[in-house]
Amino acid sequence: MADDDNISVPAYYLGKLEQKVAGLSTLIDISEIISSTMDLDALMDLVMDKAKLEMEAEACSILFYNKQTNKLEFEVALCGDDSTSQVLRKTITLEMGQGIAGWVAENLKPIIIDDVSADDRFFKGVDAKTGFTTKNLIAIPLVGRTGLIGVAEIINYGKKDYNLEILQLLCRQFAVAIENAMLYRESIQKERLKQELEIAAILQRSFLPESPTLKRGAVTLSALNISAAKVGGDLYDFIEPSEGLAGVLIGDVSGKGVSAALYMAKIVSDFRYAARNETSPSSVFNALNPQLSKSPRGMFLTAVYVIVDRNSGETEISSAGHPPLLWITGGEVKVLAISSGPPLGIVPVEYSSTPVRLSPGDRLLMFTDGLFDARDKDGGRIGFDNIVEFVRGHTTMPDLIGGLASFVSEFEQGAERADDITIVEVKFED
Amino acid sequence: MKIDITIAEGVPIVAISGEIDMSTSTLLRTHLLELVGEKRPLVLIDFTYVSYIDSSGIATFVEGLKGMMHYGGKLKFVAIPANIAEIFSFSKLDKVFEMYGSVNDVLDR
Repeated sequence: MADDDNISVPAYYLGKLEQKVAGLSTLIDISEIISSTMDLDALMDLVMDKAKLEMEAEACSILFYNKQTNKLEFEVALCGDDSTSQVLRKTITLEMGQGIAGWVAENLKPIIIDDVSADDRFFKGVDAKTGFTTKNLIAIPLVGRTGLIGVAEIINYGKKDYNLEILQLLCRQFAVAIENAMLYRESIQKERLKQELEIAAILQRSFLPESPTLKRGAVTLSALNISAAKVGGDLYDFIEPSEGLAGVLIGDVSGKGVSAALYMAKIVSDFRYAARNETSPSSVFNALNPQLSKSPRGMFLTAVYVIVDRNSGETEISSAGHPPLLWITGGEVKVLAISSGPPLGIVPVEYSSTPVRLSPGDRLLMFTDGLFDARDKDGGRIGFDNIVEFVRGHTTMPDLIGGLASFVSEFEQGAERADDITIVEVKFED
Repeated sequence: MKIDITIAEGVPIVAISGEIDMSTSTLLRTHLLELVGEKRPLVLIDFTYVSYIDSSGIATFVEGLKGMMHYGGKLKFVAIPANIAEIFSFSKLDKVFEMYGSVNDVLDR
């Protein structure tokens, strides 16, 4: 008697069904792997390892499409031995259309080649370089949401009853996962950079005087420092080198970011040490210059150091490659291009000081190039002459520093600031 | 930024076009330090097509110059456009780098 529970299925269909189930189970496995990590390298290794195992293959590789160069580059290669993988990684590139991977990338179609030696498209250069012998291969384009990402290759596979449709489906899923991991990596890097710059800005601020104003007798020193998003390494410092003297330093470190902030911090410490008890600004620069010459990567400092006698208004100024000062005296604005040495930390030179006598009501303005290099949305610079013009029209403005800052802000119209802006004023009162 | 290095009468001429700033100075540094590594006695930088240079760019040249000073090499700038000359003059870099009107002025041809 026939058993009603048994349904007879032809072996051919059963085989097909088993193949599909096996394929689906691999699909599920790989989906799990794909969703298990956002780490791009780990993701690729895991998927390629699984693919190699499933396809009973000797090797697997992924070539990434480089949009800038319009070439394919080996990103991951899982071979029998690691040395072959290392040879391939980043060292071999293929033109679009070159070799089988190049053909797949250009035509965005998968390809199965049972005997590569009989296929003219096969590029022998890769095997020649690695010593590996490619016999057969399957190459599938990796196409994500943003277009071609690369080409996946399964090399010397033993499994013959695979399902190309499922392989393609896997590659599609894999491509989207690679895209996501790339975006994730990019956002992590951006976040890290942002955090580093925030730390740099805090570090920079911590080395500036606690109060932006110092009043000693008839002398008032004021400053404003606005950090750019990329942190430019501007600095200023107030110091009383000895009784009756007020000193003010303004400087701009070359470069930007964390290195500029660290260098700025070192300079402020060195300056405070060199400037104590020293009444001549040029002596301070002459002491600082050899120390800063040891700085890495050609880093240097442009600076102006001014020491004012708060009783007499007698002033000594030293400049090291810094933009000219503006001297407001008798209602006029003089561009004080005093004799200056090159920036500190470049070559061994002797710096000199220039004497100036401030009269009651006089003001000295110093700033970093971030002020006159400020750009509007179209990239136009405000320029040094416009800054001088503004000051000429506002010689009696009580908060001239604030006025200058607003003037530049209005000019910028919200354009992102590329460099720090620092303005320092010495006011000699009536 | 684009860098083009040619050799004239045995002297490397580094012709730069575009902006030399934080992001592009790394490439310039690689080329420059390679020439310094070769202990070239004279290197010319052609500024004809340089539109802008910031302090990172200047620092790259300072690093190159310092490297060359060790073995007595010379780094010379030629054909500096007016806006770049203003930056150099403000920073008194004319006291640091030797500047000439053209490549021919240096090579005496």
